[in-house]
Amino acid sequence: MTRLLITEITRMGPAFCVIGLQREKDKIRSVRPVSATANSWMHFPYHRGDVLRCDLAPFSGSKPHIEDRVSTRSFEKESAVPEPEVVTYLRKAEIASSLEDLFGCVLHENKTGSGLFAKPVEARRSVCGTVSQNLRLELCANELRATLALRSGEVLRDLPVVDRDWRDFFEAAVVISRGANRLARLERFLNSQFQSKVLSCPHHFVRLGLTRPYHDLCWLMLDTLIPLPKHDWLEEF
Amino acid sequence: MASLKDETHWRRLVEECFRREAGVQAPLSDPAQDLIETGVLDSMGWVSFLRALESASGLSELGARLTERIPSFESIFQVFSEAKADSPAVGAKFSEARHAATRAVILRSSSAVVGSRTIPSDEIDRAFGMPEGKLRLRAGIESLAYAHESENELTLGVRAAEQALHVAACGAPELDWIIATSETHRNYPSLSAQLHSQLLARETCGALDVGGACLGLLNGLAVAQGLIVSGQARTIAVITSDVHSRFFQPGRVAGEFGGLFGDGASAFLLSAKHGPTPPDAYALGEFFFGCAGQYAAAIRVSSAPDGTLDVHFDGEALSRAAITRMEKVILDVELRSGLLRSSAEGLATHQPNPRLVSLLAKQLGLSPGKFPSVARTFGNLGSSTCGVALDAILESARRREADHRGPIFLASLGPGLLFGGGWLIPA
Repeated sequence: MTRLLITEITRMGPAFCVIGLQREKDKIRSVRPVSATANSWMHFPYHRGDVLRCDLAPFSGSKPHIEDRVSTRSFEKESAVPEPEVVTYLRKAEIASSLEDLFGCVLHENKTGSGLFAKPVEARRSVCGTVSQNLRLELCANELRATLALRSGEVLRDLPVVDRDWRDFFEAAVVISRGANRLARLERFLNSQFQSKVLSCPHHFVRLGLTRPYHDLCWLMLDTLIPLPKHDWLEEF
Repeated sequence: MASLKDETHWRRLVEECFRREAGVQAPLSDPAQDLIETGVLDSMGWVSFLRALESASGLSELGARLTERIPSFESIFQVFSEAKADSPAVGAKFSEARHAATRAVILRSSSAVVGSRTIPSDEIDRAFGMPEGKLRLRAGIESLAYAHESENELTLGVRAAEQALHVAACGAPELDWIIATSETHRNYPSLSAQLHSQLLARETCGALDVGGACLGLLNGLAVAQGLIVSGQARTIAVITSDVHSRFFQPGRVAGEFGGLFGDGASAFLLSAKHGPTPPDAYALGEFFFGCAGQYAAAIRVSSAPDGTLDVHFDGEALSRAAITRMEKVILDVELRSGLLRSSAEGLATHQPNPRLVSLLAKQLGLSPGKFPSVARTFGNLGSSTCGVALDAILESARRREADHRGPIFLASLGPGLLFGGGWLIPA
């Protein structure tokens, strides 16, 4: 029986990917429960901060997704931890402040367009936390993208945001029922309130991940942005 | 007529950017087809394609304007026409102004000088306490041009400027601005002010220093182009001058870094195009710039409290960054200008070291001969590398018949990682 603190719920298409923290003696490390048949879940009714009881079996997942574990029975919620406390644990797990330390490998620039990628054989893990010095979210042709500056001064541009809650928030912000000028209002929110709500938050934290190898490359994405958005914020713009 | 021309231009950009993302063999689908839903591109590929298109077209809000639209070619063309209709940023006036700017400024003459001492690289290896042959074998540097003790940024810069003025039969009083750039001159009065005095320019001739380190020449040319096109100036001298040998000395910096640099200067005389064009003149095309912050940590130079230089230089990361970004800039020059790189008379680029220049040529499928050999014999000259290379290409172009001269591509980088590109075409 394993106790897992859920820290990441990411969404790509209809499926969810989940990562949690597991304590192993003095260490806290990231673990990604996957089902026996797929890397993702079509239904995941839990939230960040939930502590779930589960059974995880070792699994020789392909590099760099060394955090994969097969979940052999259904999850059971045991308790929940508040957001600031989740970040306290995240800071004790995989963390880096420079580009090369994020995944223990060189990150490459896409020569023809945007985005950064790692080579699967070089990357030593597929998830890592960091504290961003600055962060900007934007909608680019219906896709949510993040640009952030690391403490090292390095900038990561155009990362796909796959954080389930932030994606839900953005989708809710642009639903037709919210009336006119939805995009302009959202843009105003991102250029003003977002700064105070997210970047000034004392437990602001970011987790970055690598996609599964696609044409032999693993692309960087923003898995988690803490604080998570509050539904009330939609009333403010 | 103008709009037809624009349409063809946009279509070419869209096709080329799409093929870069989807592959050269990728067929262009039905314009109304949803590119994501039909699996032509995934969402990451779609955004990547749009970013390349933003960069090539100068329409930086393309992605934002496509929100709530179907990801299709048709949507992109709709955005282009809407942007043209309602935004001066891509409107007809801007297009016309940009088109006018690209031929309104001519490069009348150029000149380059290097430090008068030629030092074999083995000697530099020894001075920095490195194994003999390291610079030659690892970086491809045969020798370095070092300034004589009587030479400095000012004397080299003045020499280059006087030669350029002489070639164009232009007197210093004709100058409306002197634009100087140097990555080693850190004194006041600034280099441009000292050059102004030494060249005996008119008191009302402006003097301006621009930064950017190795990107300095491109920054200077772009500023000069803007001043001339806006009518603020008719004749401008853009001067680069760098004396690294007094800055990057043994004991102050590691040889793997300091040993790469030499000393040199270059000067370019630019004028508004009016009346008959000099037979050897080239016209300035467009310039574009940016900063790729993911490489910010690859090189950092700052003054340490004890007076030494604190140099953080990750050679491997910097080489990787230089090659990747230079290739990207040159491909962008090609895309923006519609000129094939294979048709270029030459490429005046930053040359961190000769090995990287060879590698870049290989990556681009070009003959190394298209890149003048600057770093191999003189070392990395900072902002003057591009200048010395450009002067060499212009010199070789002058020896050819006017009808056979090709365009010149410019591309450079600076710490940051700043990048910039542009082109010149026979006037």
